[in-house]
Amino acid sequence: MMNSTKMRWPAVQPAPAAGMWRRQLLIGLVFGYVGVLIIAPLAALISGAFSEGLGAIIYALSQPDVLAAFWQTLFIAVIVVVLHTVFGTMMVWVLVRDHFPGQRLLNALVDMPFAVSAVVVGYMLLLLFGRNGVLAPLLAMFDIKVAFALPGMILATLFVTLPFMVRELIPVLKSFGIQQEQAAATLGASGWQTFWLVTFPALRWGFVYGIILTFARALGEFGAVLVIGGGIQGRTETATLYIFRALDERMYVGAYSAALVLGLLSLSLVLGTELFRRWRE
Amino acid sequence: MKNRFIVILLTLIISVVLAGCGQPAETGSTESVQGAKTLILGAYTTPREAYGKLIPIFQTRWQQKTGQEITFEESYLGSGAQSRAIVEGFEADVTALSLEADVIRIKDAGLITHDWQATPTKGMVSNSIVVLGVREGNPKNIHDWADLAQPDLEILTPNPKTSGGAQWNILALYGAARRGFVDSVPAHDEAAAQAFLSAVLNNVTVMDKGARESIITFEKGIGDVIITYENEMMVGQQNGQKYEYIIPRSTILIENPVAVVDASVDKHGTREAAEAFVDFLMTPEAQEIFAEFGLRSVDPAVAQATAEHYPPVEDLFTIEEFGGWSQATPTFFGDEGIFTRTISQLQRRS
Repeated sequence: MMNSTKMRWPAVQPAPAAGMWRRQLLIGLVFGYVGVLIIAPLAALISGAFSEGLGAIIYALSQPDVLAAFWQTLFIAVIVVVLHTVFGTMMVWVLVRDHFPGQRLLNALVDMPFAVSAVVVGYMLLLLFGRNGVLAPLLAMFDIKVAFALPGMILATLFVTLPFMVRELIPVLKSFGIQQEQAAATLGASGWQTFWLVTFPALRWGFVYGIILTFARALGEFGAVLVIGGGIQGRTETATLYIFRALDERMYVGAYSAALVLGLLSLSLVLGTELFRRWRE
Repeated sequence: MKNRFIVILLTLIISVVLAGCGQPAETGSTESVQGAKTLILGAYTTPREAYGKLIPIFQTRWQQKTGQEITFEESYLGSGAQSRAIVEGFEADVTALSLEADVIRIKDAGLITHDWQATPTKGMVSNSIVVLGVREGNPKNIHDWADLAQPDLEILTPNPKTSGGAQWNILALYGAARRGFVDSVPAHDEAAAQAFLSAVLNNVTVMDKGARESIITFEKGIGDVIITYENEMMVGQQNGQKYEYIIPRSTILIENPVAVVDASVDKHGTREAAEAFVDFLMTPEAQEIFAEFGLRSVDPAVAQATAEHYPPVEDLFTIEEFGGWSQATPTFFGDEGIFTRTISQLQRRS
């Protein structure tokens, strides 16, 4: 059942002896490329964080404003993941299984966050929810605060993370097809039973990857939450905004160690999923 | 058809619920402690170290006087960006910005209703001047504005659209040239002054969003010269930075305003505390702390007492040189302003 959704690597062809140096050169080149792009900055970050020893890192990370910033980030990320899991599933369902006018438009709109700069997203939300925004009278009537408050930051993060879940699930649902669902239906299963017992299990890796990517992207969001949140210390400050402020305040150990924690968090998510997947098979 | 409708409906419900549930949680936290108050400070980027020392002192004073505990929420952005954020709905109780024009924007939006300049200092809380920061030992031999036009020089100054400091920088440079303190520019020659501005801007390699970001970029080793506030250089040196700064013969007096935002304090019920905080900032005690962090005091007695750290400038002019901010803003930074035109010409050429 998994085979239909899993990628298969072609078997490695044994290289002829004459092509040996070429192969080594290629591998070296690829390593160099990854080294320059990823490993070197990561090493610099680690050495920066540890420049004043482990004690300084622990001190910097245990400051109340730093902890608040990390909680804020995690809270937003969890909310965003939950909402995108629910609505992403609905959206994938109508995009793959249904046909209706405007479907292509909807499909294209899902990708918009890839193309729009996060800062622009922040400003769009300000135009909507700001004091002079389109929805300002409505918000004032119910005394709801969106801009420069948590709801605005959640909306901004929802916007930038929209495509990840949908784009992970669509190919999986497409390749799964409808035969098994039809079989379940002929055996007398209800719509919900079919979804929970047949379709959902088939999509589970799509969900896992979608959740991981959404979560990782939400952790790292900066521009949109800065514009809509205003970066108020201890209130609308996420971990990335803290890093930005710490650099401005010349608190380099704080900035680097917070950056390192964020980076390790994302990295362990990605590696953890990979290990979990191997272990399961 | 029916499905789509349900999806749309659910989206709406969730967004309303989401917006609703964020709100009570926040107001709840500020009101949960009996008698506790929160003041929100919306400031520009450079005096943050000074406020870091001033706020705890005010908190103690306030508690002694009223028995009330007061907490602060601080936000530091480029002056223009901060001013726009407040206009867009960031409910700062007190705003401390780089220049008067940014407070006027908030006033024009109807959020400041009292006469905020009816104080002995006309609403100003600190002064500074525009200086030129250079690398240790001044390897590029920079001594005055005129040296900034030489070819192959890399200059940093923030973006005037977001940073108040940047506007001061441009006006200082332009004013010095127009007043005859740049050798190649005859006094009162607008065309020559604009040509000089263009030559200097041509050397600008990085335009950060705020004065603080600009100096952090300089500290990373980028650029030969940074045009910035005197207080930024002094705070950097206090933090162990090895750069030096040069006070040009002619430069502008930077005057930084502070104001209570009426709309916010009335909504939060924090007027008393906000006004007390602004009053506190004007006391000799607070003014000495500003002076400690590189800002020239607006209190004459404190200014005199700290004069040894703040050398006099040969030709110090004010914003009145340009007819005040009400004229300087459109003349230089408006869509057809001198700065706007010059920078877009340079961009088109490159």
